[in-house]
Amino acid sequence: MYELSVYLGLGEGCVMNAVWLVLIISGSVVALMTGNVDALMSSVLEGAYDAVQLVIGLAGIFCLWVGIERLANESGLIDALARVTRPVLGPLFPHVKDEEKIMGAISATIISNILGLSSQTPLGLKAMAQIRQVHGETYQAIHSMITLVIISAAGFCIFPSGVIALRAALGSQNPAIVAGPTAVAGLVSTCAGLLAHRLFSKRWDETQGGSKLP
Amino acid sequence: MMFFLANLGMYVFPIILIGVPLYAWVKGVPVYETFVKGAEEGLQVIIGTLPYLLAIFVGISCFRGSGALQLVSKHMGRLLKPWGIPTEVLPIIVTRPISGSGSLGVTGEILRVHGPDTSLGLLASILQGATDTSFYVVTIYFGSVGIRKTRHALPACLIGDIFGFLTGFIIWKLMVYGR
Repeated sequence: MYELSVYLGLGEGCVMNAVWLVLIISGSVVALMTGNVDALMSSVLEGAYDAVQLVIGLAGIFCLWVGIERLANESGLIDALARVTRPVLGPLFPHVKDEEKIMGAISATIISNILGLSSQTPLGLKAMAQIRQVHGETYQAIHSMITLVIISAAGFCIFPSGVIALRAALGSQNPAIVAGPTAVAGLVSTCAGLLAHRLFSKRWDETQGGSKLP
Repeated sequence: MMFFLANLGMYVFPIILIGVPLYAWVKGVPVYETFVKGAEEGLQVIIGTLPYLLAIFVGISCFRGSGALQLVSKHMGRLLKPWGIPTEVLPIIVTRPISGSGSLGVTGEILRVHGPDTSLGLLASILQGATDTSFYVVTIYFGSVGIRKTRHALPACLIGDIFGFLTGFIIWKLMVYGR
């Protein structure tokens, strides 16, 4: 997809252009060929409705967690957290490792992720905003941002509550048996994503004529 | 151990909820004002993500509603069959990075039809829990800071997902073989 995006002249590094176009065009072509146009119409409208529903549904959780984060921030808890996690997370975020506010928010995001708390996304977005603040106005993803997104998207979690609840509801004798395997898979997924990130970044730095991006 | 892990999230939440404001109060932070200011910021952040989420949701529902997603799963099924991956779980692999609720629906259907404790049910559950929804995470994280050029973030996440699924599949093979 990365190559495709550059090749089609959709803008270097703008993968989302290619993804979005592919989704829309292939969907529409299939619908026209199979006569599924009615289903397509209602599905698209439903998608738009769902996006608004999701944002409204998340608003409360966001207000709550960002409010709590602000308290933790002003009382110095975030800085303390950053100092504790620094030996582990410092090497992963070399460009921002000295900014305690950012590292604290990143740590809180990753801990929420591992514990499966609803604070994951609110705190993650807070960390993104702080990384952006340091680097100023930019429309381009910054190295540390991509690292955080990869860790969040890999979803390393010690207790996948959604699946376990589903299994329990359907009468499983041992609903939590999947927690171990999913944790290992999540860990491998995180490592593979970070490795891919490293390789992509290296090539990016080379193609940009040695001008390293933060 | 399992019980402890299961309830860890449940205990951590009230501890944070009490602990953080209490600590802030002891430190002399104006608790109420600070919380409200933070909440306001949270509201602005989530509202700002709407255009991005809407764009990707519309794209995905176009792909799904037209039947293109089913078409892709069907053809990928033929590709992956020689590897010993049961065709029933393919829709999970294809849907998981795109839509969390969509793949949870597919998983629920497999668990309901085949039973959660069968080997197929086990594989479906592991694949569902192995990763998070990459498209959603990339969209909402970068959308919240107004970044459109996401560089290699999505491809890297998808590579991670593939390895996550592979690991889940290998562990499942070992579990089933060990039975």
